[in-house]
Amino acid sequence: MEIFKIAELRKTFKNGDVKEEVLKGVNLTLKEGEITALVGPSGSGKSTLLTIAAGLQPASDGNILFNGHNLTSMTSEEMRSIRAKKFGFVFQFAHLVPFLTVREQLSLMLDVSEVRMKNEKREQEIDYILDCVGLSHRKHAYPSSLSGGEKQRVAIARAVIHKPKVLFADEPTASLDTKKSKEIMSLIQDLTKTLNITTLMVTHDEDMLSFVDHVVKMSDGLVV
Amino acid sequence: MSIAWKEIKKNKMRFFILGSIIFLVSLLTFIISGLANGLSQDNAALIKDLPSGQFYINNDAEDNYNLSRIDHSVQEQVLNEHKNAAALSIQMGFLNDESDKQRSVAFVASTDSKLFESVAPGEIVLDRSLEKDGVKVGDTLTLKPFNEPLVVKDFVDQKKFSHAPVAFLKMEDYKQMYRTEEMQLLFIPGAYETLNFKELQSFSNKEFLNTIPSYSAEQMSLNMIVWFLIVISGMLFGIFFYMMNVQKIGLYGILKAIGVKTGDLFKMMWTQMLCITIISLTLSVGFSQLFKEIAPKDMPYHLTNETTLQLSIVFLVIGFIGATLSGLQIKKVEPLQAIQQGEV
Repeated sequence: MEIFKIAELRKTFKNGDVKEEVLKGVNLTLKEGEITALVGPSGSGKSTLLTIAAGLQPASDGNILFNGHNLTSMTSEEMRSIRAKKFGFVFQFAHLVPFLTVREQLSLMLDVSEVRMKNEKREQEIDYILDCVGLSHRKHAYPSSLSGGEKQRVAIARAVIHKPKVLFADEPTASLDTKKSKEIMSLIQDLTKTLNITTLMVTHDEDMLSFVDHVVKMSDGLVV
Repeated sequence: MSIAWKEIKKNKMRFFILGSIIFLVSLLTFIISGLANGLSQDNAALIKDLPSGQFYINNDAEDNYNLSRIDHSVQEQVLNEHKNAAALSIQMGFLNDESDKQRSVAFVASTDSKLFESVAPGEIVLDRSLEKDGVKVGDTLTLKPFNEPLVVKDFVDQKKFSHAPVAFLKMEDYKQMYRTEEMQLLFIPGAYETLNFKELQSFSNKEFLNTIPSYSAEQMSLNMIVWFLIVISGMLFGIFFYMMNVQKIGLYGILKAIGVKTGDLFKMMWTQMLCITIISLTLSVGFSQLFKEIAPKDMPYHLTNETTLQLSIVFLVIGFIGATLSGLQIKKVEPLQAIQQGEV
């Protein structure tokens, strides 16, 4: 079932009088529960496509349909609400809140996504997701005491705790070594399948493609 | 609230430094304000403690009550028309005690009125500061240079004029000593609107205070320091939160990316500002009250609850403005920019 449809998406950056078209009419469809990887050389427009799809920057032209809603015509507040409730994000760096414990990072995400549940249930959800990412024993740790791999696991837990429809991952393993990268990819694969989350990710690492359902190659602002 | 407090708890030293600065600046402001009020009381408690009303002096006096002579018929007319009004005179002078030690006082004589101490002929009622200097009830003091003996009948609290303790005299004694039949001033309590008396000009209590030599200059200097300190504390808030917000641009971007509302980020900043300010103000209010107890007795220090409350509210408002102005950059933070900057 199609959940996300990108049609004729264009993005032009202006630098003074010079215009640079980074996306030149991209078409892409994501199916529910599947992992799609965007690959291609640097400057091919992968990250730009991901960030526009995630509502982090506007498109110059084209449409993005998510569950029948056109994201390109939404106000910034509507887009924020979609990001909070329906999307999850994992970036190259974990970007955790430095003054919150692991448990509090997840609790904050539940607050932001306005998931209403009793405290007991909330704690169960947090415990469940921490168990999934293998960090139950680090529940009360602050980011400064976590390793790079642990931080990224927390970032993944934060991205999926509110059970988003779509997970956007921008080179989630770029800052990790091969062993940890495979662990993280395996984790993303398990969680998104378990929770039926559609995933769009950007990666440079071909070793990670074995974990995805579809590979979309990009070159010079187009899907090839 | 929760996330704001958690940041304070995790970054105790950072917020402790800000709190300390606010504490010290506000304590200094309270103390200087207390001294300003103390000096004001020391200078003019006699006038400041009167109910609101209007003072009248002669038109020819050129705003100087010392030169005023109220015509007796005008005085009688005003006192007849306004039963609670009083005619009074204030003269700076000297009293010598039994050991011939000279003391500077402000002689005050008035018509019968509840507003001023009533004394019998040959008696005086003195401000209590003279009691602390060794003058006792029953002592006979001499008014120089008239050599009139006056017996101390009683002491009253907080009656000062032009930094001198007040000595209340019987009006007849005053007239006889100063060889005058006319009083200098008329005071009508509760007369908020200027009543039209020919040959008289009116002053509110506040306006009359400014006719006391040095009063306005003294108060202006101290009040200017107080307001400078308040503005400085506002700027400190602005600068501190600006620096903190600059350091947290990346964090704000990530929080915005995951869907945190900009308004919630402002609430977080305001909560921190409120927490720090309230804790700092509570401590500085406590210490300023303690200062009242430990300050030298001769130091005029008078910090009222009303002034403390007013200054505290001003500090909160100025802190809010400082923090909000510096926080405007939160609005401009782009999530994408923060993500591309790297780890928070």
